[in-house]
Amino acid sequence: MSTVENSADWLGARLARKEDLRLITGQGRYLADMVLPGMLHAVFVRSEYAHARITGIDTSEAAAMPGVVAIFTGVDFKDTVKPMPQPVVKPNLPARYPTFWPLAIEKVKFHGEPVALVIARDKYVAEDAAECVYVDYEELPVVRDPEQALGPDSPLVHEEDGSNEIFAMTLTGGETPEEQAANAAAVEEIFQRADVVVAERFRCHRTGITPMEPRGVLCDWNDSDGLTAWITTQRPHIDRLALSDLLEIPAEQVRVVAPRDQGGGFGVKAPFYRENLAIAYAARALRRPVRWVETRYESLMNVGQERDQINDLEIAASKDGKLLAVRNRGVADNGVGTTGVYWGFVMPFLGAVELPNAYTWERGDVSLRCATTNKAALTPSRAFGHFPTRFALERAIDMVAHKLDMEPAELRRKNLVPSLPYTSVTGEYYDSGDFVKVWDNLMAQADLPAFRAEQAKAREEGRYLGIGFACGVELSGVASELLVPMENQPGYGAATVRLDPRGKVYVFGGDAPGGQGHETTTAQVVASLFGIRPSDVVVTTGDTGTTPFGSGSIGARAGSYFVSAVAKACAEIKDKITRILAHDLQIEASVQHFEFTNGEIVYLGDAAKRKPFTEVVERIIMFPINLPEDEVGGLEHTAFFEAAKPMICFNADCCIVEVDVESGNFSIKRWVTSEDVGTVINPNIVDGQMHGAIVQGLSNAMFEEFVYDEQGQQMSADFEHYKLATAADVPDIEITYAPTPCPHTPLGTRGIGEGRPSSVPGALSNAVCDALRPWGIEITDLPLRPGSVWQKLRETRG
Amino acid sequence: MKTITVTVNGTSYEESVPERMLLVDFLRDRLALTGTHVGCTYEGVCGACTVHLDGEAVKSCLMLAVQADGHAVTTVEGLAGEGGPGPLQRAFSNSHGLQCGFCTPGILMNMSDFLARHPDPSDEEIRSGLVGNLCRCTGYVHIVRAVRDAAREMREGASEVQA
Amino acid sequence: MYPSVIEEYLRPGSVSEALAAVARYDEGEAMFLAGGQSAMQAMKSRMLRPQCVVDLQDITELRGITRDGGALRIGAMTRYVDIAGDAALDGAFGALRDAASHVGDRQVRNRGTIGGSVCWNYVASCMPAVVLGLGGTLELAAADGSTRRLEADDFFLGPLETARREDEILLAVSWPAPPARRGSAYKKWGLVRDALPVVGVCVQVTLGGDGNCLQARVALSGLAGGCQRAQAGEDLLVGCSGDASAIDRALDAIAGSVETHSDMSADADYRRQLIRSIGSEVAATAFARARGD
Repeated sequence: MSTVENSADWLGARLARKEDLRLITGQGRYLADMVLPGMLHAVFVRSEYAHARITGIDTSEAAAMPGVVAIFTGVDFKDTVKPMPQPVVKPNLPARYPTFWPLAIEKVKFHGEPVALVIARDKYVAEDAAECVYVDYEELPVVRDPEQALGPDSPLVHEEDGSNEIFAMTLTGGETPEEQAANAAAVEEIFQRADVVVAERFRCHRTGITPMEPRGVLCDWNDSDGLTAWITTQRPHIDRLALSDLLEIPAEQVRVVAPRDQGGGFGVKAPFYRENLAIAYAARALRRPVRWVETRYESLMNVGQERDQINDLEIAASKDGKLLAVRNRGVADNGVGTTGVYWGFVMPFLGAVELPNAYTWERGDVSLRCATTNKAALTPSRAFGHFPTRFALERAIDMVAHKLDMEPAELRRKNLVPSLPYTSVTGEYYDSGDFVKVWDNLMAQADLPAFRAEQAKAREEGRYLGIGFACGVELSGVASELLVPMENQPGYGAATVRLDPRGKVYVFGGDAPGGQGHETTTAQVVASLFGIRPSDVVVTTGDTGTTPFGSGSIGARAGSYFVSAVAKACAEIKDKITRILAHDLQIEASVQHFEFTNGEIVYLGDAAKRKPFTEVVERIIMFPINLPEDEVGGLEHTAFFEAAKPMICFNADCCIVEVDVESGNFSIKRWVTSEDVGTVINPNIVDGQMHGAIVQGLSNAMFEEFVYDEQGQQMSADFEHYKLATAADVPDIEITYAPTPCPHTPLGTRGIGEGRPSSVPGALSNAVCDALRPWGIEITDLPLRPGSVWQKLRETRG
Repeated sequence: MKTITVTVNGTSYEESVPERMLLVDFLRDRLALTGTHVGCTYEGVCGACTVHLDGEAVKSCLMLAVQADGHAVTTVEGLAGEGGPGPLQRAFSNSHGLQCGFCTPGILMNMSDFLARHPDPSDEEIRSGLVGNLCRCTGYVHIVRAVRDAAREMREGASEVQA
Repeated sequence: MYPSVIEEYLRPGSVSEALAAVARYDEGEAMFLAGGQSAMQAMKSRMLRPQCVVDLQDITELRGITRDGGALRIGAMTRYVDIAGDAALDGAFGALRDAASHVGDRQVRNRGTIGGSVCWNYVASCMPAVVLGLGGTLELAAADGSTRRLEADDFFLGPLETARREDEILLAVSWPAPPARRGSAYKKWGLVRDALPVVGVCVQVTLGGDGNCLQARVALSGLAGGCQRAQAGEDLLVGCSGDASAIDRALDAIAGSVETHSDMSADADYRRQLIRSIGSEVAATAFARARGD
């Protein structure tokens, strides 16, 4: 509980959230809670096969069932709706963009692809009917290995493309092939002369951050107003443009609303999905509201699959511990790729960009190929694309340290970028921060010398403890400079701030959070700037009908871009308020001569000259006479915040484990972190973001795995098989801070939390390897499980 | 169809339901008590649907509504008393034990039953008690803290009453 | 996601009523519903499509743990939570509590029953292996009023298959009074806490006055072939005092003799290792309980 006396203290206050009351009393309104009169229920019939020709679909028995209103198949869309690859949902990256519609036409290309849509008056009946839609398939050879998919003899997933290479890029050395070749030669030369070289193949499995609330879409069509779509989405403004373009509905007749309460997104709700379009189409065709609520089975079959990369990584270093060059050949298993905005490959692209991490390199040679396979397309998951590359790099750095007989922590510190700004060898810009300060804080928490003594003593007793480190440079929002090429949309933050005559403040933002606490952090910012209380502030997000354009709740945009736009808007309004107040007080003064505090506006030159905030606001909105020249009444402003260059945040992790060498079981004894998150608005919320991200990383690294069998059948579409960490499986987490305020945002805040899981597998694996140093075990593959540890020990011990 | 009588949050309901209707759907769709959530398919692993049946935590997605005939069900909407949210609910807010809130009702229902039987639990016992509730957002750290704080407040409140 | 249409739901007050209800249906059309923690999964995935569901919750004679001297009888509808909470189930019957207190999660334990579990006999479940490991007797009743008793060895036939006929109800699982110096234990391994067993081991030992093992039963859960005895290990436990090397030899023999498989949870070799590591711990605990440590 927080009792804040000085309103300037709202920034940094551990305020209980405004969102909480409705959520702890069961009064939240999630998509599946929403009902419209006459609403119909939708169920998708999905492909049983990974790759097959559709030779027939018989819907007659299902259509005849009482309560069934309509059944749609792919042919209904093909000639009436544009194909899904429209510009608004395609990146500005050179790639192959296969044609597709919401329902499969002629072929199915992954187990779970939607083939038909059943609409019924009751959701149980809809499932009964879906069972009675009979689809005839002629099986085709399945493409399931990404390297084989890129080979010359592989069957094609998208015949029209003539290739299974959906995307490929060299991210170093410049734009032209000549420049890239020259760079590659220079890198090779470094490797030739280096004292130490590590070269390994690292594999990361298929896993991701499936949220607790599955997807859902509720569409309402009205001939006069057009389409209103409630969608579990992180990107309502983009979804709206996509629906307008694809269904050829004039843009002013499309409104998308992300429900105020969403049960987590983590990137999984960021793409523009087929189901959005199919449900909108059905609502328009039937002129009845239609709702689809995804089952967990559908969710695990179709979305939340990410990571899944092979990285052949090499590091060249000098004998005194200087990292010289990094070379990486990445292959990503893209799945079918046919998912709007991201197409599967945008994640591995960013993962390759972020490979160099927080270290200085003389040169790098980094390239990536993304292979189409008969699996669900990769969809974004927190630690967007770089979970596998960070695992590979942090493991390889430990291997370099061992060859040099150096402490891995020391090797890292020696090579951290010493001062920012800095541009990495892949061209990523790190704007600000102090990596060494963050690292030294971590080392103070970890007390490495004490641990080494404890470890030595334990070994004598036959117990094996280990310590592992990793760090991560993460995006703090995504500047337009990066987001326009990457996702064909802007990176700016936009906020409308509107005051009412009673001194209450309304903030409108076009992003769509799913648990990050934006209502509260935004209110804390506004309250601290205006000297009022967070309870006086109402925040509305996610409704395209009322909010300014927002690219979405992606890439940690809130603390970086949105909050900065809010601060800018408040600053404009404070300027106007103080201009008018100074005029009323008959003094020469501007905003810096006033303090907004505890519900009052106080003239710093004479504390007797003070007025209640509500009184001044009411005067300006309701009684706008005797104003300064050229001034009009009203208090509202929309501001846009853009960072000239992309911004970052930074974190470092330390993990201590104990390994049982008989069974391979390992347990985490301690997890402690050091964070640069810039200025903290609400420490509880930031702590919570870190805890959640780290546990997600652990759960991905140890337990969760999407498995496809030889026939491309997905075997992990329920929580018995796709196992999430329970509270009993993960340790307590200690979060510590060593922040540097961001010089580019009005409040010094940084966006945080998106990339945070990426350093987890490296720190964990490094700790296990450190415990098993007597046997020289090196972990190169994820998931990390007791069985694999035991297997490696058995191979080594004989 | 079958006519059942179920007491939910203290109110008795007589309803005609299909035999196959799940208890969670009866609560959400028939009684409009949407605080109880559905987070998995047939497996009943996630725990978001947890309610009390005659005071004990159960998964309402693994029950038919007809099985609740003659019984008392409590949902998250029935947790708060006359004075508003109770100590467990308040502890969750004060400790930031929820983010998206989707798993929260199930956790509140499970933990309220758990604390009734284990009024002074260790962190290890709390974590074991939470095995039937998956949370994606919090990483469980603040949830454990919230349950611990609620337990303490409830013990102190109880001893105050006795004094 | 949702069960297929159920035509009739019945809640009889007695065993004879329940049996009469099921008898009105053809084979495969009616089923008994106990705690529902497995049955509902099967109904919601439509693996089972019963026309009639006979809910046993009101039949009080099916519930409860009763003792007669040292003999133990557990009604089929007795919940895991009640077995786990019965502190007197220790020593010879310790494995029952070990298993019951870790099935699923506490919500599952408030509903799931020992009878439901043994009649379902899913490979990745604990109670069948424990009942088999402890050599329980299963009491079955038929519609004509007759009853029969089957030993556990004759009851469990294979994955999802038991000797119970569709028109029979399991009334209880029972044991005669155990001899002195008998102890049992159970433990399972899964990827996450209390997950369905990838592998589980139940050991029951009976010691002579000299502290050496007179008789041993070992049963395994999680194997593709269903719950099964491990005679290879039982023979090696007889005669030993429960020392670590004897236990290890026995578990090595078991691990070497069983058929294991590889799947997404673990590979075949690691399953053998798990049998060894878990089995050693379980056997040591069984011996300690037998000694009264």
